[in-house]
Amino acid sequence: MKAPEHEADERLLIEAAQRDPKRFAGLYERNFDRVYGYVARRVGDRDVAQDLTAEVFHHALASITRFEWRGVPFAAWLMRIAANAISDRWQRLRREHGNPVPEEPAYISLDDVEMRARLYQLVRCLPAEQRRVLLARFVEQKSIREIAEDLRKSEGAIKQLQFRALTNLRERMSEFDA
Amino acid sequence: MPKQNRIAELDRAIDALLARRAAPGRAARAASGAGGVAALAKLAAALREMPREDFRRRLQSELERSATMAATSAHAVTPQRPEATRTSATPALSFINAAAAIEFYKRAFGATENFRLTEPGGKLGHAEIRIGEAQIFLADEYPEYGFRSAETIGATPVKLNLSVPDVDAFVRRAVAEGARLIRPPKDEFYGERSGEIKDPFGYSWLVSTPIEHVTIEEVERRFNAFFEKPSAAADAAPHVNFIREGFHTVTPYLAVIEAEKLYDFVQQAFAAKGSYGGVGSAGGFHGEYRIGDSMLMIGGGLNFKGPEKIGALHLYLPDVDATYERALAAGATSLSPPADRPYGNREAGVRDASGNHWYIGRHIGEEFNPEGWPTVQPCLHPLRAEPVIRFLVNAFGAEELRRHATPQGVVQHAVIRIGTSTIEIGEAHGPYQPLPAMFYLYVPDADAAYTRALAAGATSVHEPADQPYGDRTAAVTDAFGNTWYVGTHIRDVHG
Repeated sequence: MKAPEHEADERLLIEAAQRDPKRFAGLYERNFDRVYGYVARRVGDRDVAQDLTAEVFHHALASITRFEWRGVPFAAWLMRIAANAISDRWQRLRREHGNPVPEEPAYISLDDVEMRARLYQLVRCLPAEQRRVLLARFVEQKSIREIAEDLRKSEGAIKQLQFRALTNLRERMSEFDA
Repeated sequence: MPKQNRIAELDRAIDALLARRAAPGRAARAASGAGGVAALAKLAAALREMPREDFRRRLQSELERSATMAATSAHAVTPQRPEATRTSATPALSFINAAAAIEFYKRAFGATENFRLTEPGGKLGHAEIRIGEAQIFLADEYPEYGFRSAETIGATPVKLNLSVPDVDAFVRRAVAEGARLIRPPKDEFYGERSGEIKDPFGYSWLVSTPIEHVTIEEVERRFNAFFEKPSAAADAAPHVNFIREGFHTVTPYLAVIEAEKLYDFVQQAFAAKGSYGGVGSAGGFHGEYRIGDSMLMIGGGLNFKGPEKIGALHLYLPDVDATYERALAAGATSLSPPADRPYGNREAGVRDASGNHWYIGRHIGEEFNPEGWPTVQPCLHPLRAEPVIRFLVNAFGAEELRRHATPQGVVQHAVIRIGTSTIEIGEAHGPYQPLPAMFYLYVPDADAAYTRALAAGATSVHEPADQPYGDRTAAVTDAFGNTWYVGTHIRDVHG
């Protein structure tokens, strides 16, 4: 599943965090994108995904002393917490609304999760202007014209930045694939 | 396509995605494949849920705050101890193809998949599903770590107990999707309605629904009641032995198309006494013959649809040579002429016209049968003896009496006992190859024996049912091609 040295690293990080919860940051850094990618892929909504991701890591931090190394990757443990959190959320919604909330398919391929984890990580590494355009467009849901006004650029320039940002991401993703 | 056009096309695809007018796949297809716009639109679809810029750092600060507080309070208030945790046990099941198992559990058990971790090579390293609240781990088998599937092992020593809201509905759906019904749901003394199924991957599931609240004391009382002496009412019922008068535990049952020829043969060759004329369950004749102290069932006839069931039978008789000559005169062919054998027997062998093997033997000494074995002993010639013996032990409570094996491990001769009968086993060699035999087995409780046989790996032919001839009988086939009728004699039928 993983290279052994990676596994050994991870084990050290887990043991450190178990001795001192302040050392949890290392595990968080390593797994944030994957957990967020998984949750986002399943719930398909940013606000819900952020809430659930926060819940997962708070829960993981509180229970880190209970994690036992059995050769299953730490990410699997986090994903199980995430899957349970998602499932609890659906059940709560169903109870509160009294009628069935359509449940999304639970099957998510790991490739899909890794793809997203990598993608969200790469966004953070884009040149500032390209990143700003993507955030404005996808997170703040602004139109090209609004972004153009905010950044004092032409609409054409914004569209071009958007295109360049995605092309950049695409290229770096394929480096990763290779 | 000029770059300018691609820029505009990508923007239109993103507009559609953001307005949720298009599913990601559709947006990607709508964008023409040319110039890679489709691939870009696919990435854009995943960007719709990307986190806010400050979210990752904010969550990290929150966690650091919690960690500091936890560390402080832990040191200040109590020595550091793990939090109270609810102990749970989760089965981790192994499969030849875990992905197929997940699909089956979804269809048959209404499972939901939490996630799966697939290795780059496609092997499923770990997956988790839920059936209701129950959590199950699954993975492809890793023989190198001793993680082998029930399919590979050929059995499972552990049954999984699943408590569900409606056991009948659950079992019905599971069976409709391909699970095997081992025991249909029924109300049990411990306050549950419970049944058992086996999934196509070899795992056994006890499925139950609580039906009444029973205290432990009451469960114990009811349990102990099973072992108490039968009540006066039960005593009043006419007592019948579960083995029909004149029979042993195991009766060989030969079913051949030329049944009438076989009737003549056993009468002429072995002085068998009996009659035929009854109609068997498969629509053919049913005859019962006695040779010495043993019974033999012979069925079939021209209306018999088959497949034929033939066997190898060891006869212990006083005069080997004369019996051998009579058998040849009655139409048999010789397998081996009479000869003294190093194990202390004089033995001969013949094959009748239907293909049954008859081994005729007597002990060389004053008594022709010093061990007091029944006159007719069935013989099995499996490719390997071990799994057959294991099956007979598990399914029918057989007991291994002896075993002779070569230093290489070839089992030349083993004797096992089931109830009042013995069966001989010699691994296949030369003309002694596996035959598709059939047996009628008398047991104290046909239902229980049927369940045990299925659990030991047999396949059901028919469930236990009361028969007009006074037995309650079920039938199974084992993995080696033998058919076993398991019957309990429940009333005497005269006339």
